[in-house]
Amino acid sequence: MPRLSSLGVIFRKELRAYFVSPIAYVVAMIFWALAGFFFVRILASVVDYSLRLDASPFGGSQPFDAATILLQQFLNLMGTLFLFISPILTMSLYAEERKRGTMELLATSPVTNVTVALGKWLGALVFYITLLIPIVVYQLVVYSSATPSMNYRLFVAGHLGLILMAGAMLAFGMFISALTDNTIIAAIGTFGVMLLLWVIDAAAGQSSSGWDPVLRYLSILQQYGNWVQGSLTTSSVLFFVSMIILGIFLTVQAVEGLRWQRN
Amino acid sequence: MIEVEQLTKVYGTFSAIENVSFRVEPGEIMGFLGPNGAGKTTSMRILTGFLPATSGSARVAGYDVHENSMAVRERIGYLPETPPLYPEMTVENYLGFVAELKRVPAGDRPQQVDRAIERCNLQEKRHTLIRKLSKGFKQRVGIAQALVHDPPVIILDEPTVGLDPKQIIEVRSLIKSLAGDHTIVLSTHILPEVSMTCDRVVIINRGRVVATGTPSELSQQAAGSAQLTLELEGSREVIQATIAAGGGHLIRLEPAAQPERFHVTLSHHQPGDTWMRDMVSRMVQANIGVYEMRRSQVSLEEVFLQLTTQESPQENQQESQETQASPMPEEGNHA
Repeated sequence: MPRLSSLGVIFRKELRAYFVSPIAYVVAMIFWALAGFFFVRILASVVDYSLRLDASPFGGSQPFDAATILLQQFLNLMGTLFLFISPILTMSLYAEERKRGTMELLATSPVTNVTVALGKWLGALVFYITLLIPIVVYQLVVYSSATPSMNYRLFVAGHLGLILMAGAMLAFGMFISALTDNTIIAAIGTFGVMLLLWVIDAAAGQSSSGWDPVLRYLSILQQYGNWVQGSLTTSSVLFFVSMIILGIFLTVQAVEGLRWQRN
Repeated sequence: MIEVEQLTKVYGTFSAIENVSFRVEPGEIMGFLGPNGAGKTTSMRILTGFLPATSGSARVAGYDVHENSMAVRERIGYLPETPPLYPEMTVENYLGFVAELKRVPAGDRPQQVDRAIERCNLQEKRHTLIRKLSKGFKQRVGIAQALVHDPPVIILDEPTVGLDPKQIIEVRSLIKSLAGDHTIVLSTHILPEVSMTCDRVVIINRGRVVATGTPSELSQQAAGSAQLTLELEGSREVIQATIAAGGGHLIRLEPAAQPERFHVTLSHHQPGDTWMRDMVSRMVQANIGVYEMRRSQVSLEEVFLQLTTQESPQENQQESQETQASPMPEEGNHA
């Protein structure tokens, strides 16, 4: 069991590193700009659709939950957007330590590799959650004026899914970062893996025979998509949690392996 | 304080160190001397628990570095070859981070950081970003990092490399001031550093310990085998044969400015310098012209060169006889 105080040291160091890094600010800016742009686009199209529905002769009888549709479409988009920013959030986690030689400090200090990996992962995740705060705020402002009113349980569950999905991606990004001492290679490698996950998603057809169900199960985006559609199951929670554990486990193995390498 | 026994580290077919054994007593400064690539860094990394050894054991403050890694890590301060610094932190933040990482209790941290800053003369750079420091200051921050948690054992890998002469003197006196309270192991390939700072020296070459002792012991041993430097006239083969016949050990044989003349340096397995008389009379008998003759004392520098370079050609063929083949007289013969 990792010592909490040691976990705290690594976690705070990682989080502070994001807040003093110009790259993190550029990422935040682009992320917020894109998220805002798409939110307004989706909002406009949902409002437009809802107005046309109201104007049509049959509209009044059909229930149309604008807030839920907006939430689902926006969360889907946030998942895709995250594919692009996650490599930048994780690229330096280990690669930078290896390049600077600070791995030797961590590896000769009384902290275990698991504690270091957990602390780093938590730091990245909390930074991502910080990025989400303004986005959550403006969503709440918009949803508060929706009729029928927003189902806030869905809202919380959806964002929880987004965070869990991010946690899984960040754990894998961290693993890839531990494999190299070059941050650019770490970023490109992570991006490649993210794209692969996307391709798996596309390759997995809708049929329920052969490999399709397996591929669908393995696709982070599919799992996340199901979640956003409201089918929040224990199996998908389990999926994300096990992906996170696997990512952290692989990171620890990779770091452990470094000790056996000749350099 | 540090006990290393039969330590071996093998990478595939290459052994970085082989059967390295030594002890360091509490409060002592032990110098690890050897050419680049001799296995100094590997040995130190094993001591700090960074690298696992292939075989053999190492104990620090009574704890095995492999089995009780965490206990050892708490008691060790380590400066790797490149100081492990975070450029975006200030000196104070960085030392605070390391102190916390090394489990210094929260209440003691400010004093410990202050103490490390003071000892390493970093007061004026306290609030400076590490990124903006010069190389000398970065090295000092690296040393401050190794002693911020007041560890009983401090391990410094090439602490003066890349510094200017003034900084080198500062770092050396800093290291000397740490002895007594701390047990220090430092590695270097610079000889004067060893004679100036260390109480004891372990000379390592190609992964093996070739000599151990205090700096003065090593020079004394070397003085026992004084060297003879000559300028000779004759054929190379005759000179070589004559020296070999007299039991001399050829160190240097180079052509001089004039044709048929050579600069020759040789030593002898016999202690003392009476062998020189015999050697010169043999040369005269062999009709070799002697133009210059000088007895030279062996400095620590030459011991080092003898130990680390002269042996290398023999080493490949006679791996097993290596220890006996050492041109240095065995310890004890002249003590």
